[in-house]
Amino acid sequence: MSGLATLETGLLLGLYALLAGIWGVLWGLAQFRQTQICGRSAAAAYGLHVLAALTIILWTPLGFGWKSLIVGSSLVFLAIPPMTWRLLQHTHQKEGSEHDRQPSQYSSRIVARL
Amino acid sequence: MYRSQTLALKYFSAAITLFGVMTITGLISAYYYLNPDFLLGILPFNIAKILHINTLVMWLLMGFMGSIYWFLPAELGRETAGIWAAEILFYVFCAAVAVVAVVFIFIQYGGSNEAALWFINQGRKYVEAPRWAALGIVVIMVVFAYNVIGTAIAARKTTGIITVLMIDLIPLILLYLIAFPAISNMSADLFWWWWLVHLWVEATWEVLIGCIMALALMQLLGTSRRIVETWLYIEVALVLGTGILGLGHHYFWIGTPNYWLTIGGFFSALEPLPLLGMVVHAVYDAGAQHMKTTNRPAFYWMMAEAFGNFIGAGVWGFMITLPQINLYAHGTQWTVSHGHFAFWGAYSCGVISVLYLVLQKTRNLAFVDGPLWKWSFAALNLGLVGMTGALLVSGFVQAFVERAIGGSTLNAFISGQENAWFVDGMVARFLLALVFTAGYVVLVWDVLTLGRRAPAVAAVAPAQ
Repeated sequence: MSGLATLETGLLLGLYALLAGIWGVLWGLAQFRQTQICGRSAAAAYGLHVLAALTIILWTPLGFGWKSLIVGSSLVFLAIPPMTWRLLQHTHQKEGSEHDRQPSQYSSRIVARL
Repeated sequence: MYRSQTLALKYFSAAITLFGVMTITGLISAYYYLNPDFLLGILPFNIAKILHINTLVMWLLMGFMGSIYWFLPAELGRETAGIWAAEILFYVFCAAVAVVAVVFIFIQYGGSNEAALWFINQGRKYVEAPRWAALGIVVIMVVFAYNVIGTAIAARKTTGIITVLMIDLIPLILLYLIAFPAISNMSADLFWWWWLVHLWVEATWEVLIGCIMALALMQLLGTSRRIVETWLYIEVALVLGTGILGLGHHYFWIGTPNYWLTIGGFFSALEPLPLLGMVVHAVYDAGAQHMKTTNRPAFYWMMAEAFGNFIGAGVWGFMITLPQINLYAHGTQWTVSHGHFAFWGAYSCGVISVLYLVLQKTRNLAFVDGPLWKWSFAALNLGLVGMTGALLVSGFVQAFVERAIGGSTLNAFISGQENAWFVDGMVARFLLALVFTAGYVVLVWDVLTLGRRAPAVAAVAPAQ
């Protein structure tokens, strides 16, 4: 890899990860605000993330395996915000019940055995 | 207040003091790049750097211990077991840190013999403390583990968080034992040394701060135990799943077999994935709370932790984690930039957040806010982000001019160091380090005077 390609690839990889983060934040905000601007901004951020991924794939001298990893990661990055959100909503559904604030009985038994 | 919580306050005081020493030695280290003759013949660069890095490790470790000593008795409903030993060892710990610092500053070097290993410097990066002090750290950590496990046994109960913590303390101690052997083969030595450095920072410490943040979240936002424990298990699984074999990204150029290039690159490229989940979680919590809380600094520092961890460890790490890039970026200011941002985001912000939670309890404050914490928050984060940006520019120059074009020769090194972009980056880093230092001073002022200068805050029930 040439010197210039090193810098370009490194920067593109950073941009790729940063845009994934921006996509996650904007997607989360869109869930609260329910406004078109938030939803579109999130979609735009993921679009830019895909653009960064495509640039890495088409333009950098990384090998096939690493480029496949970039494609796979992009798909996982796409799924993480909605998956995390659903799990958060699911876990928060029963928040506040009395039993909820008690320590786990199972772990108590482990210590009792000790 | 439990004795354990009084001890926690002492640990936080020591941690904040060492945070200051770390900042000053960092400032001195940064200034050497602008004026290499600075303190010539008095304090060499490498000693200032040793002090900077070792105080970083120590202030965070003390911050973690303070956090656990604070939360543990409330969590298990009783005084910490063996608290008397922990109280004595706190003073031993502080005295040992002071003696080691004095030895580093005034003696600096020893001969190539056992005596130097025992009394001056073990010579292994990040764990330079002489062997007697390293043994002392092992004793302190064993007693700390006994405090946690013994309290759970005495209380005849545990919680999911404390169970994870107890399991985590075992590798935390065992991995530190790698600090001792003096292996003469450099590849073998580095192979095992990275177990200590990487698996502490990207495995056991991650779990430890995860436990602390889980306990803090319950107190700060009133989040239910079931939620924080569920997320703690998920986080621990994901962080360990990607972090343990992510160790391979340190094995690239130290004489290990080639397959580490693939293993290290692959697993460390996965590391940003769980961090994105944490960012989404932070957005959820912020939105669910409508950014309203009774302790704004603690809340904002906790948010800074989630975002800083993603950007510092995730984004900055992803830039240099593939072996093709790492071949040139390894050991340059580019790596230093990542190290600064990742430590700040992953750990420092979390410890500061817990510190504000503790202050709210000890000073009986119903509401914590005010202008000072905002100034310190802004200056510390602006200074830190600015420093990492400046270091990144200098690191690019090194990777490009010195490594990729120059082929890592001595001439190329000099060319890299004299390059205008490298020099400008170093000047900018120093100036932004001054901003960071100002932020630290304001933080200390705020911590010392919080609740004593604002009559508007109402008193609440005394802390437990």
